[in-house]
Amino acid sequence: MDQLLQHALNAMILGGTYALLGIGLTLIFGIMRVVNFTHGELYAFGAYMMYMWVMLIGANFVLSIVLAVALGVVLGAAIEIVLLRRLRGADIDTTMLVMIGAWIAIQNTEQLVWSGVAKSINSPFPSAPLVVGAISVSWTRLFVFAVAVLLIAATYALIQWTRLGKAMRATFQDREAAALMGVRIDTVHTATFALGSGLAAAAGALLGPVFVVYPTIGDLASLKAFAIVILGGLGSIPGATIGGFILAFMEELGAGYISSGYRDAMGFLLIILILLVKPTGLFARKERIG
Amino acid sequence: MHTKTVKTASPSSCGRRVGSPPRASTTAAGLIAAGVLATALSTGSVAAQETIKIGVSQPLTGAFAASGNYVAQGARIAEDEINAAGGVLGKKIQLVIEDNKSNPTEAVATVEKLIVRDKVPVIMGAWSSTLTLAVMPKMQEYKVPLVVETSSSGKITTAGNPYVFRISPTSEMEAMSFRPLVAKLGIKKADFLNTNNDFGIGSATEFAKMLKAEGVQVGVLETMDPKANDFSAQLTRIKASGGDTLFVTTAVEQNTLILKQAKELQLKARIVTTGGSNSPDQLVTQAGDAANGSYHTVFFPPWFPEVVKNPDAAKRYMAEWKKRGHEPGGLTEGFRGYDGIFTAVEAIKVAGKAEPAAIKDALWKVKVPGVYGDIAFIKQGPAGSESGQNQPTVYLVKIDGGKVVKPEF
Amino acid sequence: MNRAASLAFVVLLVSLPLWMDNLYFLHVLIVAGIFIVAAMSLNLLLGFTGQLSLGHVAFFGIGAYASSLCSLGFEIHVWGDTTVSLAPKPVWLSMLIAIVVAGLCGYMIGKISFKVRGAYFVIVSVSFAEVTRLVALNWIELTQGPMALNNIPVLKLWAPGIGSIDIIGKVPNYYLVLAVAIFTYVIIRRLVYSQAGRAMIALRENEPLATSVGIDVTRFLVLATVVSAALAGLAGAVYAHYVRIVDPDVFLFIYTVTMVIMVVTGGKGTLAGPIVGGLIFGILPEVLRGFQVIPEVQWVVYGVLMILIVYFLPEGIVPAVRAAWRRRLDRPGAPPTRPAVAAEAKP
Repeated sequence: MDQLLQHALNAMILGGTYALLGIGLTLIFGIMRVVNFTHGELYAFGAYMMYMWVMLIGANFVLSIVLAVALGVVLGAAIEIVLLRRLRGADIDTTMLVMIGAWIAIQNTEQLVWSGVAKSINSPFPSAPLVVGAISVSWTRLFVFAVAVLLIAATYALIQWTRLGKAMRATFQDREAAALMGVRIDTVHTATFALGSGLAAAAGALLGPVFVVYPTIGDLASLKAFAIVILGGLGSIPGATIGGFILAFMEELGAGYISSGYRDAMGFLLIILILLVKPTGLFARKERIG
Repeated sequence: MHTKTVKTASPSSCGRRVGSPPRASTTAAGLIAAGVLATALSTGSVAAQETIKIGVSQPLTGAFAASGNYVAQGARIAEDEINAAGGVLGKKIQLVIEDNKSNPTEAVATVEKLIVRDKVPVIMGAWSSTLTLAVMPKMQEYKVPLVVETSSSGKITTAGNPYVFRISPTSEMEAMSFRPLVAKLGIKKADFLNTNNDFGIGSATEFAKMLKAEGVQVGVLETMDPKANDFSAQLTRIKASGGDTLFVTTAVEQNTLILKQAKELQLKARIVTTGGSNSPDQLVTQAGDAANGSYHTVFFPPWFPEVVKNPDAAKRYMAEWKKRGHEPGGLTEGFRGYDGIFTAVEAIKVAGKAEPAAIKDALWKVKVPGVYGDIAFIKQGPAGSESGQNQPTVYLVKIDGGKVVKPEF
Repeated sequence: MNRAASLAFVVLLVSLPLWMDNLYFLHVLIVAGIFIVAAMSLNLLLGFTGQLSLGHVAFFGIGAYASSLCSLGFEIHVWGDTTVSLAPKPVWLSMLIAIVVAGLCGYMIGKISFKVRGAYFVIVSVSFAEVTRLVALNWIELTQGPMALNNIPVLKLWAPGIGSIDIIGKVPNYYLVLAVAIFTYVIIRRLVYSQAGRAMIALRENEPLATSVGIDVTRFLVLATVVSAALAGLAGAVYAHYVRIVDPDVFLFIYTVTMVIMVVTGGKGTLAGPIVGGLIFGILPEVLRGFQVIPEVQWVVYGVLMILIVYFLPEGIVPAVRAAWRRRLDRPGAPPTRPAVAAEAKP
């Protein structure tokens, strides 16, 4: 019983960052119709920026997170303006190839700059964990979870209640009609990609101090984000949120009770299962034609 | 010579076929590419005839990158020290260091390159046991000797490969030297967490065998992928098993995370890391107070260099390491590369020529005063095709109050 | 004339080991050749049916593992005391089994994943490759996991008058890869020019239209996937018996990307495209190394090159060269051109 509670707690905390990753990716796909292969690289970028600010410059921990996310937003906006803007209206395969090219270039630039040796980021929280009965959790992870939930809530609020959010929703539903109504599609696209990238960078900045940072961490992050959005249905934000938690629970319980080796396989097996049973995903309303 | 043939071929095939459909230019593109390659290859092989090349295959990127880079840095120190003293056989030595990316197939590719392209007469590598086991058939195929500087799996020297000379201790040697400490530490029940490769599995097998012989109960044997970084599931199970000691075998990156995550989960067991690739100083800086109370086997203790067999070599190496500003945490790893290059060069000196067969024979005769101790090879493995095995000393250290100390019993 | 050029190219390749004594160059060509075979098989899906399959390395890896395991033999525990074991088989038979196994996997994956299109299809194909990697990594009893399958035997061939020969070392492997590449080229060419091939191209150009004229879309997509997977499996098997070691990293996404770059650069949907792209990207790393370019920079160059090609040469090198050639020939006074072959021309 204690073991189960501990696994559930671990999963809950992991799920928060997974949801962050998933929301960023699904947002970009839903509004821009772009399968973003650089998503994991933004995650790695966030983690490395965190390393730079905390370990090399010695900035305050919370300030470093803010700076890492802000830089992620800037990088995302730059990718959209430089690479994607001119591809508007191109078919999905073309943009995908460009994103794969960008992914390779960014990842190897990271390796060039930071070397292949893993970096570790110190956290200012006490290393003694919070203990409740037989269950314990580190303060760092609790902090990560709290910030993740905060960011998810902020994203919902932004999409629900701001002018930009309204424009994004309009674009999501019908791009042409939105453009006719005076929505500036360019701005919406840049903002969407920047927001999605910022969320990925936030996930990286938050998990960097929990794990270690090395150039290829983004690959697994990308794959997990893919699994999450397929689970929830491409373009569905609630789907990505719930999908993130489902994936975390499957992984943690699978690793705890079935085999720790197959931990990372759980998500993909789930995808294949869902495609066999309900190819429309758990929450998608639209037809599955990209 | 080949370059010319190819270059004359491409314009002519272009020129003659004006009327033909574009397939011809496709062909031409291929020919030009081949020409460029031939040029690139031939310029590469001209350089440096006056040096003796020594191949090095190490994981400079990937899961074992930290350790691999330390070994390469140690090897560079040896290279410069040997060259400053006039080299060997009147020639300078030149290391050709290839990155095997912590991957066995890549390791084979590096050895292929080093032997076929760079024509090195001896190679040092390939850090982890799996990587070394992967390259061993190639060494036999090309008849080039391999100096193994880190790997610990018993399989390496018992496989019947006569081109293998290991200066690092086997897991069995390590387990045996730990044996007297079992009673002193009061170990009653032990759990294991190791990487699911030859290094981790080999160490866990040997330690479990030794502990059982000492009457210790063996609890769970958990494994992890060398690239994994979240061990909460394994550690939760280990906590439920309730042993008093947890033996961990992996490289420094994962050791750091395991110490941190064990503390987060309030694991009570004493943690002992084996394999000697644990860089205790790095654990102190990166894991902080989560490292306190843990034990580590190392094959060179830079905190008290006076205890080793050849303190002169150790101090020379340490001084140069410090001078170059390398990570202090890498001292326990870098000496492997330092000793490995000295061993290879001593063999070249004894052989009197830089040829693989002569170096292989000479390796049986070397006696190198290294950081590992006096390096010399005894025979291991099936008769007739024995591998060479050195017998170094194993040390146990403890981290206490953020410092590495000799454990007191 | 067209045939003559192709023939000259083949003659050059066949005669290469006779005048090229640089063994390392042959090694580079062998590895490039294996990837060209894989890229040609990917082109069948990517270029001719228009499905961006990003899990192609799975079939390559399955071929490599299947052939290695059959030739090494294995024993696995299924349930309780029940074990399944296989005695080592000759390598030629193992390679045939590998082709069949990869083809079957292609069939199953085709059946499942062609329920969806576009972005979903891409992500599903990526996930499939990742699952195969994780299985290879964790099913240690069968695959040895991260410890890799080592000491894989080499192919033995028997020829009348010569007797039995081991395909070991550079020259025999070079000819083996060349033969496999020509075989693959012929198979794909025949398929593309057949009725099935025309159906595939039709549904690439306009799937709803193809469906409305009665083309069974899924059937042809699955057919293309099976052939493509089987050929990729063949490439994987040849690779395994050449390098003689296979580890789970053979399933890494980066290898799929390498194949995609080869196809896209050379020209998807053209028979010569993967060959041109494969030669360029198989040989480029060595050329860059000659200029002291470190691997990371090389990969950055690859990434940037890929983006530039999509922007400025979206059809790839082969169609671009062809178009330039045709423009030159269409000038007054030039000899008349033959119309381009239907399957080779992309609109």
